[in-house]
Amino acid sequence: MVTIQNGELKMKIRKVIAVGLFAFGGGMLRYLVNSGWGVLGILVCNLIGSFLLALLTYTVIERKLVANWLSLGLGTGLIGALTTFSTFAATTIQLWQSHPLAAGLYFIVSSGGGLAMALLGAWLGRRLGRD
Amino acid sequence: MVLTSTGAAIGAILRYLLTLAGKKLPWNWPLTTLMINLTGAFTLGLATHYLASNSLLMAFFGPGVLGGYTTFSTYNVELVTLIHSHRWWAAASYAVLSLAGGLLAAAVGIARW
Repeated sequence: MVTIQNGELKMKIRKVIAVGLFAFGGGMLRYLVNSGWGVLGILVCNLIGSFLLALLTYTVIERKLVANWLSLGLGTGLIGALTTFSTFAATTIQLWQSHPLAAGLYFIVSSGGGLAMALLGAWLGRRLGRD
Repeated sequence: MVLTSTGAAIGAILRYLLTLAGKKLPWNWPLTTLMINLTGAFTLGLATHYLASNSLLMAFFGPGVLGGYTTFSTYNVELVTLIHSHRWWAAASYAVLSLAGGLLAAAVGIARW
């Protein structure tokens, strides 16, 4: 009984560490893209991340092709940290104060584009998953 | 860069733990991600105001902890999942509450008190 609980605890810790380590990489990628392209960089991260997470969900994660800790690391950690909702919301509000038109455009391209990219990723993932 | 990355790791772990806890909720509607994104947007709004003078702390806490804590990709994938199951009202309410709520939360945080 004790060994089973120990094993479960180890698995839990492994998952938390995987999420943290992969998120470190995701955050670093977002930082680099943001340094190069500014607010557009965040938009690119959010769109690509939405596509990748949908693709990953409908291929690797749902079909359990890899270990649990790895899919958590990639999905929740790497891609979860690559994309960000808080910066998207705050940037839209800050842009609104100086350039309302740009803010509206940023908001629409982010939200509409994010959904479109996730739909595309899911569609592609389902096609790839069908073999 | 290391400050932001470390913050993102901490934020993502917090998001993961909250999502785990949220799985025990009795309904099948992505409340946990909504709450994470709204609280994160509000707190980032506050941070742009209160941490403006400290760029290192801002790099760690803003794009770092809060950037890793909130997630745009999970929101969209959850939305797609609801759409695929033809749960139109659940999808529409999730999108409206996330987007309008996120903007409102950020605006309230940014506003001078």
